[in-house]
Amino acid sequence: MKLTKGKDSSSKVDVPMAPMIDIVFQLLIFFMLNLKIIAPEGNFNINLPINAPANAQQDVALPDIKVGLRSDRDGNLVQLTLGSNNLGNDNAAFDRLNAEILKLIGRPGNPATAQIEVELDADYECQYKYVVKAISRCTGRFDPQTQQIARYVEKIKFAPPHKPK
Amino acid sequence: MKTRKIDMSLSEADMTPMIDIVFQLLTFFMIAINFENTKADERVKLPRDMLAKPPEVKPEHELVLNFGFERNEDGSKKNAIPTIFYNDRYVEVGQLTADLEQEKRVMEALHGKEVIDKVTVLIRADSEVPTGLVQQLIKKCQDNGFSKFSLRATAEEK
Repeated sequence: MKLTKGKDSSSKVDVPMAPMIDIVFQLLIFFMLNLKIIAPEGNFNINLPINAPANAQQDVALPDIKVGLRSDRDGNLVQLTLGSNNLGNDNAAFDRLNAEILKLIGRPGNPATAQIEVELDADYECQYKYVVKAISRCTGRFDPQTQQIARYVEKIKFAPPHKPK
Repeated sequence: MKTRKIDMSLSEADMTPMIDIVFQLLTFFMIAINFENTKADERVKLPRDMLAKPPEVKPEHELVLNFGFERNEDGSKKNAIPTIFYNDRYVEVGQLTADLEQEKRVMEALHGKEVIDKVTVLIRADSEVPTGLVQQLIKKCQDNGFSKFSLRATAEEK
């Protein structure tokens, strides 16, 4: 049987590209305008159950760790304390706090200290950044070698608020 | 004199490389865009911390409260008293009760009465806000039945 070659079978079919390019450009402009370069944000969970006084004693073998943040009227940190120990008021004070917490819990992720709580007692004026720093240093430490976070204390609570100076 | 015939048919530009590049750009912007942070208010200068990592499990229900200072374009404070940036209004902590009640009502209407126990209040507070006011804000939320709280911080480079 003889196959007949159609006249148009070899001709190139032109797909109209213009509508696709229109849409693609519209999408491109939409995504370009909506792009916001924002640094990623993270959370610190705090333990504040309703109807439970902040200083309620819990039935745990280990006593709660009390961290104090004293400030001046402008909110600048004057003194960071752990229990009755004065740790200072500079950046190194927070590193000292981190080291002291590690001493208290023994080793990171120690199951025996899972129930231990840190109570933060900050002055009314104390700037929030110091509180976050203290929470961070109590929560753990970033290990640059393993690129992992060594977890110390997971439970953080606030002491009753102070009155303004 | 002989004249040469010039081919008058339209010469078509090759669109393939342009389409390749445009698709690459489109893919890049689609991946880079982050719709999650639409509730983040740029006026709030969050504290920075190395341990602040995005949560692995996103809370089922959340209420984001942006708490900071009204600032000028140069970043200086317009008002020394920090306020909650709530629906294009500046609300002082003491006057937030009505808005929190409204939030609670809307959440309960949408998801049922028990939803309030599952709502996580995400506090995005400015790094210079007095801690006493953050505690006052938490207390206001507790008075309205909210019990889970998270404090937000910007992830710092290691």
